[in-house]
Amino acid sequence: MLSMKNISKVYQTEKVQTHALRDFNLNVDEGEFIAVTGPSGSGKTTFLNIAGMLEPFTGGDFMLDDVNVGTLSDNQRADLRNQKIGFIFQGFNLIPDLNLYENIEVPLRYRGIKSAERKRRIEECLEKVGLASRAKHLPQQLSGGQQQRVAIARALAGKPRFLLADEPTGNLDSLMARQVMELLEEINREGSTIIMVTHDSELARRAPRNIQVVDGQLADFTLYQNKAMDEIAAKAGQPAIEA
Amino acid sequence: MLEIKPVFSALLRSKAGAVMLLIQIALTTAIVSNAAFIINDRIDYLSQETGYPEDEIFSFTVKSFDPNLDISQKFEETETMLRNIPGVENAGLFNASPLSGSGSATGLSLAPASERGPDVRTAYYQADENALDILGLSVSQGRNFRADEVIVSQTRDVFPQVVIVSRALAKELFPEGDVLGQTVYFGSDPLEIIGIVELMKGPWLQDSKPDNVAIIPFVSASAFQHIIVRTQSEQRAAIMRQIEDLMLEDHGKRVIIGLKEMDVRKAEYNSSNTLMLRMLVVLIIVLLLVTALGIFGLTVFNINKRTKQIGTRRALGARKSAIINYFLVENAMICSIGVTIGSIGALFLGRVLLEHYSIPALDNMYILFTALFVIAISLLSVLMPANKAANISPSIATRSI
Ligand SMILES: Nc1ncnc2c1ncn2[C@@H]1O[C@H](COP(=O)(O)OP(=O)(O)OP(=O)(O)O)[C@@H](O)[C@H]1O
Ligand SMILES: [Mg+2]
Repeated sequence: MLSMKNISKVYQTEKVQTHALRDFNLNVDEGEFIAVTGPSGSGKTTFLNIAGMLEPFTGGDFMLDDVNVGTLSDNQRADLRNQKIGFIFQGFNLIPDLNLYENIEVPLRYRGIKSAERKRRIEECLEKVGLASRAKHLPQQLSGGQQQRVAIARALAGKPRFLLADEPTGNLDSLMARQVMELLEEINREGSTIIMVTHDSELARRAPRNIQVVDGQLADFTLYQNKAMDEIAAKAGQPAIEA
Repeated sequence: MLEIKPVFSALLRSKAGAVMLLIQIALTTAIVSNAAFIINDRIDYLSQETGYPEDEIFSFTVKSFDPNLDISQKFEETETMLRNIPGVENAGLFNASPLSGSGSATGLSLAPASERGPDVRTAYYQADENALDILGLSVSQGRNFRADEVIVSQTRDVFPQVVIVSRALAKELFPEGDVLGQTVYFGSDPLEIIGIVELMKGPWLQDSKPDNVAIIPFVSASAFQHIIVRTQSEQRAAIMRQIEDLMLEDHGKRVIIGLKEMDVRKAEYNSSNTLMLRMLVVLIIVLLLVTALGIFGLTVFNINKRTKQIGTRRALGARKSAIINYFLVENAMICSIGVTIGSIGALFLGRVLLEHYSIPALDNMYILFTALFVIAISLLSVLMPANKAANISPSIATRSI
């Protein structure tokens, strides 16, 4: 469903050219859970941003569900993000002036979903992340882990096919991090495709497929950690390979 | 897609800047609508028709200091001399200059003074049968003075028996029509109205009844005498330059003072009005500029504060137009509340001005137009920063912590 061929990304600043990605090739199938690791500055965020159509790429071909992303207009990309992609950010990125309910409502409003349907979905998602009783709270009244769960609820409310997460546990302690990871695994079991950038090797190992970005390129190694994960991967049509 | 409710609840949770702006918009609306109304009122006043061809007329005062002079006799000759200057249409003695701010007024009544009837206040000019022609006027009804109706006298033993009045005075004296042939009383002297001039102004434009004017055919030459001259307009300046020499040539023992064009006299009389007008215009411009800058500044501030939020919204699927709409809706909310409060304030301010400063009652259309104008300015000032906000890259969402 996602395919990148020879994607490159060059940042042009006044004096320096940074090749954040070069000859980047990746295929992602429906239902996969991919953990992206790699050294700092290697291009993980750049890759995720391009995958999520948050920034343009400078070369190569990027197909998302048979749509050639390179040919889309700004509005088409915005609509596609809204319909197909859910984002989870390291800094949670909740809107401070809106309560939890209104925060989750944001992408639904952009999609033009009717009020009754919005309400149903928001309550369902808040329930799922265990914060149903907090709908009227403001983000700053929550702990980091709770905020990230709201952000996940916001990403889920639009029923996206793709969940893109850039260090979703980066600002959380290990207990909170594990809770968030469990939530993501559950979401993945229910069918969403997840790409998660992380620095936490323990969490990465729990993902069925690991990819490593080094110096803007994909270091090709895929590993599966345990039997349970193998089964999930098999269900998702991914061959299990022991590293 | 306009998202009014979430914009409103977000606004309620961070009010400080919005409240400042709201107050500013309210004040601007209240002050600008009143100022604009006063400006328009003053412009109407300053540009009102006076009935006179102001650019053809000038006047001056002659001070005679020859004790042995037969003044009436001398001024007959002087008038003739003036009328014979090439370019001069007509000239003559007057008791006062129209529009100048100084002159004479009286009460005309329908009964002699002994009977104490109600009287009508009016300015009056005294001059000979040339008066209308000198002032560039003509009667619209009735007739002009005949030469034999003019009384030339140093005393008031004999007084004229006829008068020409302005339409406004005629209406006030006789609200029910027929005016010509009616008698009015100047003190105890009866005057028959023989002619009506549609429009002529008295010496005081700021008077509550500047249009009430009577012309009485009476010449009482004095040692301190006004003379009014009408010329061809393009010749006026040249004639004025030589007037002093010609007057002294005519008679040496006199001084010419206060030589001025009619339009200049009027402008001098109105100078405080003109000054106020300019100050109000400056006030309005400054207020509107400050408001526009305030809105611009607040929006820029809000956008800088919300860069990450905007990037996140874009990442979550907001089109650029949705971001612009957000700021427009937010601004429209602040603005409509501000304008509403400001309109109420304008009514209140208008009433205060009416009570204390004899300014006419504020026309509500001015509030409406000012409110619309403030809204337009407000939307224009928000447009540029909102556009900038829409161009914030969605990648900000992942790039900034
Ligand atoms: N807007 C930008 N302008 C210029 N260079 C940039 C920009 N964004 C990223 N880069 C550069 O691109 C390279 C890849 O950055 P990227 O953020 O993708 O790394 P990362 O793998 O996410 O690192 P980290 O683990 O620290 O988050 C880096 O060298 C970075 O300096
Ligand atoms: Mg990164």
